[in-house]
Amino acid sequence: MSEGTEDGEDRPAVVTRGLGKSFGDVVAVRDLNLEIGRGVMYGLIGPNGSGKTTIIRILSGLLSASTGEAWLLGERVPARANRPRIGYMPQEMAIYTDLTVHENIDLFGEMYSIPAEERAEREDSLLAMIGLKERRDSLVSNLSGGMKHRVSLACALVHDPELVFLDEPTVGVDPELRKGFWDYFANLKARGKTVVLTTHYMDEAVRCDAVGMMRLGRMIAEGAPMELIESTESATLEDAFIAKAREESA
Amino acid sequence: MNVRRMMGVARKTLRSLRHDRRTAGFLVFMPLFMIAIFGYTFGGDLKDVDVVIVNLDAGGENGSMSAMIIEELSSGETLRLTVLEGAGAVDGEQLVRDADAWAAIVFASDFTARADAAVDAMRAGTTAYPGVLSVYLDGTNPNIAQAVLTEIATTMQRVLLAQYGLMPPIAVSGEMIYGEDAEFIDFFAPGVMGLAAMMVTFMLSIISFVHERTTGTLDRLLTTPATEGEIVGGYAAALGLVALVQSVVILVTAVLLFDVEVEGSILLVLATILLLGIGSQGLGFLLSSIAKTEFQAVQFMPIILFPSILLAGVFWPIEAVPELLRPVSYFIPLTYAVEACRSVMIRGWDLGDVWPQLLVLAAFAAAMLILSAYSLKRRR
Repeated sequence: MSEGTEDGEDRPAVVTRGLGKSFGDVVAVRDLNLEIGRGVMYGLIGPNGSGKTTIIRILSGLLSASTGEAWLLGERVPARANRPRIGYMPQEMAIYTDLTVHENIDLFGEMYSIPAEERAEREDSLLAMIGLKERRDSLVSNLSGGMKHRVSLACALVHDPELVFLDEPTVGVDPELRKGFWDYFANLKARGKTVVLTTHYMDEAVRCDAVGMMRLGRMIAEGAPMELIESTESATLEDAFIAKAREESA
Repeated sequence: MNVRRMMGVARKTLRSLRHDRRTAGFLVFMPLFMIAIFGYTFGGDLKDVDVVIVNLDAGGENGSMSAMIIEELSSGETLRLTVLEGAGAVDGEQLVRDADAWAAIVFASDFTARADAAVDAMRAGTTAYPGVLSVYLDGTNPNIAQAVLTEIATTMQRVLLAQYGLMPPIAVSGEMIYGEDAEFIDFFAPGVMGLAAMMVTFMLSIISFVHERTTGTLDRLLTTPATEGEIVGGYAAALGLVALVQSVVILVTAVLLFDVEVEGSILLVLATILLLGIGSQGLGFLLSSIAKTEFQAVQFMPIILFPSILLAGVFWPIEAVPELLRPVSYFIPLTYAVEACRSVMIRGWDLGDVWPQLLVLAAFAAAMLILSAYSLKRRR
C-alpha cells in the first residue's frame, strides 16, 4: 500500500490491516481487516458497544489506533491532506444549536475553504435535498430532532466528499424520515460516492451493498446482506447476525 | 405535598454527587479554599511600602531629629525604608518618578536646627517659624499615598513630643508626582477593566469549549481541514474582541460618569487588555480539557477567579496582600495587566515604561495558545 499522496482511482476507498484499539484493559476493536471499494455503500452493523463508532473515529482521524494501519482513498490514516475528500457525520449530531441552519452549513463550508459563491450554491442544493429550505434562517435549537439530524447530514456533505462516514445516522429518527435518509444515501452512492455507515437497526442495513457484522470488537462476518441471510438460512439480517454470533461463540 | 417523593428527589441529587467524585471533593475543598484565601487576604494590613529617604539634615546640639524619626519609622512594618546615602532631593524624586518607590522623604539640612529654634521660640513665647519636611509621593494609589503621609506625621509627632515635651510646628509638604487629583475610582477603574476582561473571556471560553467537547462539535471541526491552531486562534480572536468591547464600555463609563482621567495612550491600555483576554481564554480552553461536564467546568471558576480578585491588586495594592500570599500575586497574569493599565492611565506612562508587564502578558497569551493547540493535538 502506498503512503504517497497520489490517488490511484483503482485503490479501494477504505483499507485496514490488523486495526485495533484498546482503552486501558478494554479492547474496543481487535484485528480488523477491511477493504471497501469505491462507490460502495457499506454498513458496519452490530449492537451498541460492538466497536462500530470506534472504527469510524479512527478512520476519521479522531482516535489513534492501538495496533494496525488504515488507508483512506490510498492515503495512510491519519492524513490531513485527505480531509477535504472525506465527510463525517457523528452520532451525536454535533451541530451548533445556537446558530441558524444556514450558519451551520456555511461554517462547515468555510472550514473546507469553499469560496463564498460556491458555498451558497451547495447550501441551496443541500437544503433542497434535506427539505429545509424554508427553515434556512431558523435557529437549530428551534428545530425538531429529525430536522437537526438532516442539518447534521448537510454539514457532512457540504464539501461534496468522495467518502462519507455516517455514524448511526438514523438513531432517533422517525421511520418516515429514516426512509428518506436511506434514499439520500442511495443517491450519494448513485453519484459515485463511497458511503460507510454504522447502524444497530440491522434490518435497514439490507440496503447496503455489503455489511460487516461487529460483535465485541471483532468482525464476525462480512458480505452482501442477502448472501448472509441466505447462507444462514435466516429470514432477516438480524436473524443472520444472531446465527453468526452463535456460530462464533460455539 | 408528598414528603416521600420530595425525599426521593433529595436522594437522587445526593446519589448523583456520589457518582461524581470530583464534584463531591470540590464541595469540601471549595469552602476551605475560600475561607483560607479570604481570611489571609483580609487579615493583612498595608505592609512593606517602599519609601526612600534623603537625609540632608546637619543635626543640632542635641543630636539629629531626622535620625531619630528615621529610626522610629524603621521600627514599624508599614514602610520599607531605604536611606539614600549622599543623595539629593532630586534623586529621591526620580526614584518615585520611576515607580521604584512610593514616596521619597527629604529632610532638609536645617531640619533639626529649625525644630530646635521653633522649640526655643515656643518656650520663650515668641513667634516660632515652622520647619518643613518634604515628601514626594506617587498618588497612583490614593490608599498608599495617604497611609505614607499618616505614618510620617504620627511618627514625627511621637518622636518630637518625646524629645522636646512639646510639638514644634513642622509642616509636611507632600508633592504628588503622579495622580495629583487621583481619587479611588482612578485607582479602581483600571483594575476593574482587567478583572472584567479576564473573567468574561475565561468563563466564556471554558463553558464554550466544554460544550463543544460534550456535543461533539469540536471533534467534528477536527475532521475538517481546520488545524488545531486555527480553531484555538479563532476563539482567541473572537473572545479577545469581546474583551476589547467590554473595556471600551468600562473606559467610556468611567470617563463620562466618574471623571476618570486617562493620562496615557488608550490604545496601549486596550492592547494590554487584549493580551490578557487572549491568555485568559487560552487558560479556559486548557482547563476545559480536564472538565468532563459543564458542571465540572464551573468548579474551576472560583479557583481561578477568587485569587485574581483578591490578590492581583484590583481593589487594594499588592502591598496590602499578606506576605505569605504575595508570591501568588506575581503568578497571576491579571496583576501585570492591572499594573500596566494603572501606570498608563494614571502615570501617563508609554510602551517604553510598561513593556515588562506587556511582555509577561504576551508570554502568558502565547503559552496558553500553544498549550491549547497542543492539548487538542494530543487527544487524538
